Amino acid sequence: MNEDRRDDARLADRVRSGDREALGELYDRYAGMAIATALRVVGAREEAEDVVHDAFVAVWRKIDRFDAERGALRSWLMTVVRNRAIDRVRARRVSIEIEDADERSLLRSGPNPTMDAALKRASAGDLRSAMAQLPDDQRRALELAYFEGYTYREVAELTGVPPGTANGRLRLALGKLRDALVGTAAAPLPIGEASLREDLGR
Amino acid sequence: MNSQLTIDCATADEVAAAYGLGAVDGTDAIAVEEHLDGCSQPHAEARDLIVAASIVPFALEPVAPSPGLRDRLMASLAETPQDHRSAAVAEPPRVARVAEVMAPRRPWWQLGQLPSALAAVGLAAVIGLGAWGASLNGQLAERDAALRAVASADAAFAAEGEAGRGWVIQTGDQALFMADELADLAAGQLYELWLIDGDGNAVAAGTLTDTDGVALVTLEQTLDDATTFAVTVEIERVEQSVNDPVMVAALDA
Repeated sequence: MNEDRRDDARLADRVRSGDREALGELYDRYAGMAIATALRVVGAREEAEDVVHDAFVAVWRKIDRFDAERGALRSWLMTVVRNRAIDRVRARRVSIEIEDADERSLLRSGPNPTMDAALKRASAGDLRSAMAQLPDDQRRALELAYFEGYTYREVAELTGVPPGTANGRLRLALGKLRDALVGTAAAPLPIGEASLREDLGR
Repeated sequence: MNSQLTIDCATADEVAAAYGLGAVDGTDAIAVEEHLDGCSQPHAEARDLIVAASIVPFALEPVAPSPGLRDRLMASLAETPQDHRSAAVAEPPRVARVAEVMAPRRPWWQLGQLPSALAAVGLAAVIGLGAWGASLNGQLAERDAALRAVASADAAFAAEGEAGRGWVIQTGDQALFMADELADLAAGQLYELWLIDGDGNAVAAGTLTDTDGVALVTLEQTLDDATTFAVTVEIERVEQSVNDPVMVAALDA
C-alpha cells in the first residue's frame, strides 16, 4: 500500500472509531472539490451544499465499508457526492438506488500503484489541461455521463450517434486523461465503433 | 448481489470506461463488477480507465463552501450513528432478576478472582492509550473538562467490559471516570461506579445515567487504597451490589 492509501486508511480508521474531527479533516481537505462537483451537476449553490452535507454524512455512516486496498478515500467520497447529485437531477428521469451505488463505487478500481503514483504527481492544473485538450465530442460525452448522469446509451441518443460510438468516445476520453497523467500511450482495444456488444452479451 | 448476467472479458474491457463514469445501467454495472472481481485476467487497461474516471471531478476548480456548512455537518454527525456501531450496539446491560439473586451469593468482588478479561486490562492500558485515545480526542474537543482531566492526568487506567470502554483517571487528589458512548441503559437503570480495595471491600463512588457522547464523572473517593474499579447496572444507587460488573479496570497495573 502506498503512502496515500496508508494515509487514507489511517483517516478512515479514525472515522470508523467515531472520531468526528477525523471526518472534519476529510471535509477540510475535499469540501471545495465536493461543492464544485455537486454544483456542476445540480447547478444551484444551496442544493449543492445539501448534497455535500448528505454525502459526508453518508461517508460517516458507511465508513466501515471503505477498504483502502480497493480504492482511494477521496475517490469514494467524490463518487458518493456525484451519486447524490445525480440522484437529484435524475429524479426527473429515473431514480438510482443510491445506497447500492455508494457501495458499488468501492468495487471499482482496486489497487493500482501506477495510477496511484500518477495521481499523486498530477496537479489540478494538469487535470484541467488534459480535460481542455479533449476533442469536443469526447469531452461532451464525458460530461453528459459523469456530470449529468446519463448512461452511454442515453449519451448516444442525446448526441445522435450509435451506442458503440458513444461508448468509444468515453473510452478515448478517459484513455487520454490516463495518458496525460501517466505519460504513456494507451493501447487501444481492437474494437470498432459498431462492434460494441450492444446488450452486454444478452 | 448477483446480476444474473454474465459477461466475458472483452465486454468488460469494452464498457470499463462507461462503467467507471457511472454510465452503465445498474444490472450491467453489477455484471461488470462481478466480472472484474472474479476474473483471473488482470484487466489492467480497464482498471486504469476506471481509476482515470475517478479523477474527473478533480479537474474542476474548487468552490469554497459556505462558512456554516462545516458546523452544520458536525452537528449532523453528532446525531447520526454509524452503521457499524448501530449494528454492534450491545443489548442493554442486564440487571439480575430477583429470582436470580434469591439464593445466597457472595458479591462478585469477593469471589477471589475477577473475570479473566481483567488480566488483559493492564495491557490494554498501555496499548489503548494510543489507539483508542487518538480516536477519542475529537470528541473530547467538546468537553473542556474532560480535556483538562486528561491533560493533567497523573495516571490513566483502561476499563472495559460489555458496557463499553472507558478510563479511570487520577489527577492530583481527584479521580475521574471517563467513557465514550456507553451502552444504552433501559428505562430506570443507572450505572453505579465502584472502587474495591485489595481485601475485596467495595465502596460506591458515584453513578452515571447519561450515556450519550463522552461521559465524565468525578469519583467520590480517591484511588488511594483501591486496586480495582468496576461499573455495575442498578435500578437505584446501592451500597452493595449483587450484579456482575459490566466494566472493570485494574488500578494497580
